[in-house]
Amino acid sequence: MSDDIFITEATIDGESDGPLAGKQVAIKDNISTDGVKTTCGSKMLADYVPPYDATVVERITDAGGTIVGKTNMDEFGMGTTTEMSYFGPTDNPAAPGHVPGGSSGGSAAAVAAGAADLALGSDTGGSIRCPAAFCGVVGIKPTYGLVSRYGLVAYANSLEQIGPIAGTVEDAATLLEVIAGVDERDGTTRDPPQGDVAYSDAADGNVDGLSIGIPTELLEGAEDGVVDAFWDGIEQLESQGATTHDVSLPSVEHAVEAYYVIAMSEASSNLARFDGVRYGHSGGFDGNWNETFAAGRAEGFGDEVKRRILLGTYALSAGYHDKYYKKAQNARAWVKQDFDSALEEADVLASPTMPVTPFELGESLDDPLQMYLADANTVPVNLADLPAISVPVGDADGLPVGMQLVGPAFGERQLIRAGSALE
Amino acid sequence: MTAQTVQQGDLVTVIGLEVHVQLETNTKIFCGCSTAPADGPNEHVCPVCLGLPGALPVLNEAAVEAAVKIGKAIDATIPEETRFHRKNYYYPDLPKNFQITQYDEPICQDGELEISLEGERHTIAIERAHLEEDPGSLQHVGGSIDTAEYTLVDYNRAGTPLMEIVTAPDFRSPKEVRAFLAELEEVLEYLAVFDASRDGSLRVDANLSIIDGERVSDDGSIELADLEAANRTEVKNISSHKGAEKALAYEETRQKNAVRRGREVEQETRHWDESRGITVSMRSKEAEKDYRYFAEADLPPLRVAHWKDEIAIPELPKARRERFASEYGLGEEAASKLTSTKQVADFYEDVASEFDPDLAATWVADELLGELNYRDMQITDIEGRLEEIATLVELVATDEITAKNAKEVVLRGMLDERDDPETIVDREGLGKTDDDAVQAAVLEAIEENPDAVADYEAGEGGAINFLVGQVMQKTGGSADPGDVNGLLRAELE
Ligand SMILES: [Zn+2]
Repeated sequence: MSDDIFITEATIDGESDGPLAGKQVAIKDNISTDGVKTTCGSKMLADYVPPYDATVVERITDAGGTIVGKTNMDEFGMGTTTEMSYFGPTDNPAAPGHVPGGSSGGSAAAVAAGAADLALGSDTGGSIRCPAAFCGVVGIKPTYGLVSRYGLVAYANSLEQIGPIAGTVEDAATLLEVIAGVDERDGTTRDPPQGDVAYSDAADGNVDGLSIGIPTELLEGAEDGVVDAFWDGIEQLESQGATTHDVSLPSVEHAVEAYYVIAMSEASSNLARFDGVRYGHSGGFDGNWNETFAAGRAEGFGDEVKRRILLGTYALSAGYHDKYYKKAQNARAWVKQDFDSALEEADVLASPTMPVTPFELGESLDDPLQMYLADANTVPVNLADLPAISVPVGDADGLPVGMQLVGPAFGERQLIRAGSALE
Repeated sequence: MTAQTVQQGDLVTVIGLEVHVQLETNTKIFCGCSTAPADGPNEHVCPVCLGLPGALPVLNEAAVEAAVKIGKAIDATIPEETRFHRKNYYYPDLPKNFQITQYDEPICQDGELEISLEGERHTIAIERAHLEEDPGSLQHVGGSIDTAEYTLVDYNRAGTPLMEIVTAPDFRSPKEVRAFLAELEEVLEYLAVFDASRDGSLRVDANLSIIDGERVSDDGSIELADLEAANRTEVKNISSHKGAEKALAYEETRQKNAVRRGREVEQETRHWDESRGITVSMRSKEAEKDYRYFAEADLPPLRVAHWKDEIAIPELPKARRERFASEYGLGEEAASKLTSTKQVADFYEDVASEFDPDLAATWVADELLGELNYRDMQITDIEGRLEEIATLVELVATDEITAKNAKEVVLRGMLDERDDPETIVDREGLGKTDDDAVQAAVLEAIEENPDAVADYEAGEGGAINFLVGQVMQKTGGSADPGDVNGLLRAELE
């Protein structure tokens, strides 16, 4: 069952007690584990063994969690289906024959299949929420800066966060509580304004008086079955005392474009270090270093990674920088502003996590644009640095559907409370 | 910039500098690795400075503090916040294949440094100075970069904090460049942010072009358009003041010759070959590099608005020189020598506070620095023995020993044999002979040398010197030659 979930199965024992004692935790394979291969789903790092642990790995083992393996993923996080892994696809345990979503597909599949109690994913534009929705489990993308990225192999470092995937909101909250909080090795981490990072006790299902904004733009492109399941979920929340109203986020129309320009630009720089000199695939080429680097990288990276590096390099180039990168940054600021003002009128914003149900394996491979557009509801949240949770809300023709709830910066408790009311 | 008279047909040299200096911090700029010299290659490294996947930079605020000190010293504008950018390019010594640096918001902007050359003062504008990380270092085995069999990479240096200081094209001669680098180094050492003795701690790139004298206005300024119209060369691989002067003098002559012969100067990068004393073309007509700068999201902006007020800097060389001249009545040369490093100036002030400032100046600026220089030593090499040097000055000031013995026997003995001054004085019997003994020697000398006495009385000037020599011999050099001269004359009257 789990042979396509893990790239590497390895046990890293944790402390004997703590909030995660007895829990088995799967780790996405772009998070560094001391002495255990960390491949990022790439041929480039197929044999790379880090000499250090990511901060989140230390925190999990310190909290008593046992790490059971490194999960499959789209190469360097670049994908929505986990089919971009050098190590092959992962089947969806909740919908066999379909993709588990991506890029943290292995992590969501591990939880859905019972191969782990909990898992860590990373979310640059939806990479935790998408697989959580597709596999019928819970995933949280924390506020930018809440969880240390030290040891997370960067794809787009201004956008991504590590977050928990679990079978229940409470379990996800417990894992978040363990990994959250300032880390002196990541200068972008901050403690929440309210001070502590207590989340596990927030999953009390109390939504009485909760004000939910529904961005109309995020329902427009969604499939009918997805929309139906979404409204069922909303009714469930309303029946427990929540109120809803429509909100508008006009900027999200540009979010996917802006997201891909920023993510690819950052990726072109973040992935430059893979030259085969210190680690990773070198190809064993000889001669002029420039050509050697190029040859090794041509062999080590898959097509999607190359596509994004090339586009990102182009977007940052002199003469195009203003037209693409700078414009994308402006759009990002606009998206942030839109979300901030919508959240002044609502406690949380709700939408379908994915506008579609899981693709069949192989279905989307030939059309990157279709894949990029499937991120329409998740990427704006990363652009806005906000927290979001994806919680299962039934199915469409037997395929899992997730509801995304977005909160204000460091509003994770609010999201956990609202999400737990859907269970 | 200085006003100068330019004759028609003159060719004027225009030089601007990019100076890289390593900042003295205990740890690297983005990780906790030591910046001290390592025993072997790749020993002071960690996931961050090796650029391992997932490692993140964290800013060492000590480097920012050093940069703020430099900013204050050169009277630069320091922004409210400081930010970092990525400069993207591939090179084997660059662990991440991008360098973290500062692009459009450098920590220092619009500063200046005054230099003094042959009695004239020039102000050199400093356009910007920014922080960045040093790359690793390459060792080409079996040849040069082009011919080596293979190349080894050492990342000990990677992540050492660097300050890149960019001047306006305000230099009109290689001599000015040398004076600027010397002044800059002095200032940096005063601030205790720089160690000149560290290998590779100063690296200079220089842009040089030749402009028709007619393009230079009366106040010495040159229109930007004229500067841009002139082809310039960038000279790289300069690592010392002297090297800078030599490299640029070579390049100046080469370009002037080309212009005079009606040949165009090619816009190119040239490599200073110190051993051959020439500049060599590296690659000509190189396309403008595109570094694709963008913000480094891993390092949030750091607010430094209040740092400028909170960080104190010591009195700088120029101010101290001026104060030494007025407070101690020193000439320009002595004041310059005595402020050349902070340690020398501090020591001088210690000595001058106890003894005659002139005597202190002679002893510190001429005798001590002269003897140290002769031995290729710095004042820092005898840091723990400055007390002993002060004792030696005291022995001279209180007339215990002669100045001649103090320098030739005691000071040299102290430096060469590491003895303390009293030990040498006792051992060599240098204590000044008492007056009676000198008087006796004077009488003896007169007694024993009637011919010389006769010559003296006949008005022969050299005779007295002969007699002084005789007395000095009898007293083992411990008498004061001036006193002896007086005593002899008194006896012979
Ligand atoms: Zn380091």
